[in-house]
Amino acid sequence: MKRDLSINFYSIFKWVILISFVLYAVFPFLWLILASLKTNAELLDDPFALPEVFQFKNYADAMEAAGLGQLIINSLVISTSATFLNILFSSMCAFAIARHTFWGKNVLFLMITAGILVPLNALIIPYFAIINFLNLYDTRLGLILVYCAVGLPVSTFILTEFFKSIPKEIEEASFLDGCNFVSRYFKIMLPLAIPGLATAGTFQFILCWNEFIYAMLLTSSTEIRTIQFGISYFTNQFFSDYVGMFAAVVISILPSITVFILFQERVITGLTAGSVKG
Amino acid sequence: MKLRKDEVVWLLIFIAPAICLFFLFFILPILFLFVTSFTNWDGIGAEFVGLENYSKLLNKKSFIRAITNNLYWCVTAALITVPLALIVALLLAHRSRGWKVFRTVLFIPQVVSSAAIAMLWAAMFNAEYGLVNFLLEIIGFSDFEKYNWLGNVRTANAALIGFSLCYVGYFMVIMLAKTAGISDDYYDAANIDGATQFQKDVYITAPLIKSTFFLCIILAVIFNLRQFEYVYLMTAGGPANKTQVLVVYIWNELSVQRLGRGNAAGVIMICIGAALLLILRKLLKSETYN
Repeated sequence: MKRDLSINFYSIFKWVILISFVLYAVFPFLWLILASLKTNAELLDDPFALPEVFQFKNYADAMEAAGLGQLIINSLVISTSATFLNILFSSMCAFAIARHTFWGKNVLFLMITAGILVPLNALIIPYFAIINFLNLYDTRLGLILVYCAVGLPVSTFILTEFFKSIPKEIEEASFLDGCNFVSRYFKIMLPLAIPGLATAGTFQFILCWNEFIYAMLLTSSTEIRTIQFGISYFTNQFFSDYVGMFAAVVISILPSITVFILFQERVITGLTAGSVKG
Repeated sequence: MKLRKDEVVWLLIFIAPAICLFFLFFILPILFLFVTSFTNWDGIGAEFVGLENYSKLLNKKSFIRAITNNLYWCVTAALITVPLALIVALLLAHRSRGWKVFRTVLFIPQVVSSAAIAMLWAAMFNAEYGLVNFLLEIIGFSDFEKYNWLGNVRTANAALIGFSLCYVGYFMVIMLAKTAGISDDYYDAANIDGATQFQKDVYITAPLIKSTFFLCIILAVIFNLRQFEYVYLMTAGGPANKTQVLVVYIWNELSVQRLGRGNAAGVIMICIGAALLLILRKLLKSETYN
């Protein structure tokens, strides 16, 4: 009897803890969505009450006021191209490292993956100078190159581990059949590595979409600017369209949450495969 | 796999883009950072000034405040966020009904951009319409009406640290994945001995994921050293430089064109990062292989 009681206490404790953490993580988002559907007067009057009428036009207004449409397109173009290039380059490098022996291979792999530990934000001034030197300031290409490089260590690490796990026999058979280096990569390895590519690609896309400091550092015009930097326009202290700000934040977070929900198993396995070993 | 002679060229072509990018955005900037940190480079000209940048920085109160704040972030993450994540991971490790839902939901703050989280929590703490004051009032703390959490010297840091607990999910997921590899034999043996669930969590699961717990501490320290968006967007380092952190400090130097000085701050930041990593490795290694 006593034992049953203690089990019950423990499971009550467990649910209280779990539910309070869930509330902490998610409740602000629910409030964000609720607040984005009110009027400014309703928000100041009572931040938590339901609005009288759901103000879906806040979203249209926010799109209009901050030019969010253009910013979303910029973010999509920059994130997808940076993800594509990053995955192409890092999978090529990972293929070379994982499936071949050559001089300096281990040094190369160690050096690139050690990049994960470099606090890159310390390098904002050199980045600014390099991008200016290359004449890429305020261009999409500049941001794409930077994002591609910043994600390189993680992608190369995930993909190298993945390529190593593919059985050697498949490649050896194709080698005997006369497949050369390039077609072994494109025709044999890439199709087999699709789960690994998806993992690394999801990571890279979320990284690019969410990136803020380089977007602020390396762009200045609204035609180039990304959405994460764009929403900070609403933090201007003389700006009082609070509900518009909430709507803009909701718009900016939807794509990365959608990608995560779609690929969540990939994100979680990638995260653990990448970090448990590293 | 052995390479044919003609394939060596292809191998070089395959590793070339990654090496170029790595050189251009990792090696070159770090060298550049070190070299210019000894000059008074302002974007136009640069003269060698020796250690002047460093001595000026280390004599500046706001810079020291930035370092201590960064360390403060790192320590709270290591001593509060990661242990809390461990508790949640242990509870979800029972894999009772719905654990995947909890995992997904708790991970969501991690996939949302830091800029959006910063703006969301700045709104939560807002004095006019923020939910924090509103909820405090409901549970009976009426003195917090119109209290400005982020604008007040006394509470700004605490508010920043407080909200950062929403990142528990990230570390939890890493530790939870490690528990999947624990053999059922341990638990079967414990069941025969009549162990309670609590005892199984504390004496079996927790020790077996110790190495991952330490890994999470290292990750937490790295992330908190380079954080920028929260402070920049929520308080901009204020009030009175109270919440300043290193990257925001570097950003401010950049915006007044003191590039050499900013790079010296960057060098100090990288050195602090390296020192923290070495210390943690040393501390945790002796623990892990005990």
